[in-house]
Amino acid sequence: MSESNDFRQGLGIAFRLGTEMMVATLLGAGMGYGVDYFFGTKPWGIVAGVVFGGAAGMLNVYRAAQAMTEEIEKENRDQNNSSSKDQDGKS
Amino acid sequence: MESPLHHFELHPLVHLSLMGFDISINKAIIAMWVALAIVFGLFMLVVKNGTHLIPGKLQSVLEMALGFVREMVGEFIGKEEGPKYFPFVVTLFFFILACNLIGMIPGSYTITSQLVVTGTFAGCIFILTLIIGFAKHGFKFLGIFVPPGVPKIMIPFMIPIEIISMLARPISLSVRLFANMTAGHTVLFVLFGLAMSASLAIGWVPFGFTVIINGLELAIAFIQAYIFTILTCVYIGDVIHLH
Repeated sequence: MSESNDFRQGLGIAFRLGTEMMVATLLGAGMGYGVDYFFGTKPWGIVAGVVFGGAAGMLNVYRAAQAMTEEIEKENRDQNNSSSKDQDGKS
Repeated sequence: MESPLHHFELHPLVHLSLMGFDISINKAIIAMWVALAIVFGLFMLVVKNGTHLIPGKLQSVLEMALGFVREMVGEFIGKEEGPKYFPFVVTLFFFILACNLIGMIPGSYTITSQLVVTGTFAGCIFILTLIIGFAKHGFKFLGIFVPPGVPKIMIPFMIPIEIISMLARPISLSVRLFANMTAGHTVLFVLFGLAMSASLAIGWVPFGFTVIINGLELAIAFIQAYIFTILTCVYIGDVIHLH
């Protein structure tokens, strides 16, 4: 049970981080393309856009991963606390 | 052989138009009504029968689900601010869950496999967060684009990055739900097509996979509804707390 639960959680995390990265990069590229189109600065807008978009994607993934790590650490702490309580009760 | 994406196509069943807008009724709209009716009916059933101090089966299931969402809201939005947004978040959760689960019934339609639907949800949530942010902090809200502790020389670089990462949120929110539902149902369709076109001697292999993937899809229906709501909470919490 716990194994399949881990698997599903991992799947959720993978989907989440993957889309986060991809969407930000594509959005940056799109905005760069728009800048090129309207201001005639081909090809520098899209170059800067991809770089900024990639950086934004990294930032989003970093933040999401940080939040997840905090969550997991908290869970572990809770589990440790409850298991130590159990031991106290038994002894 | 039909295209694997064939069953996502929509054809109007009843042609209607209102002031030049096409408001024809198709499968997706009917599925949406059914989802709405199921969620409303489940809760009304409990309320009609009277809520008891010692809950019955249905009441305890719904109370557990509500408590689960309430905890989530309290954790990500905050204990004081949370209750204000709880009705919105819980409605979103149950509606998306109902839509995902209705899609699991053969012959019905998965509304969340349409980017228009998930995009509308995400767009509304994005606008809502902007409104909440400006109403709460006024123009200080723009400070969300400058993270704390950034050296002054980096600020011109950080602002576009932060703006892109802000704008990417609703897109990734909608694309995630849409892609997961579409991909899952396409895989199911392809596997089932293999099972149907192969002889019985080998056809049971893809059929077995269909059964397994169906179980996985059921799990994904719950996970995606959960992720969608939890991210809504995170985004609302972000604009309320500003770092």
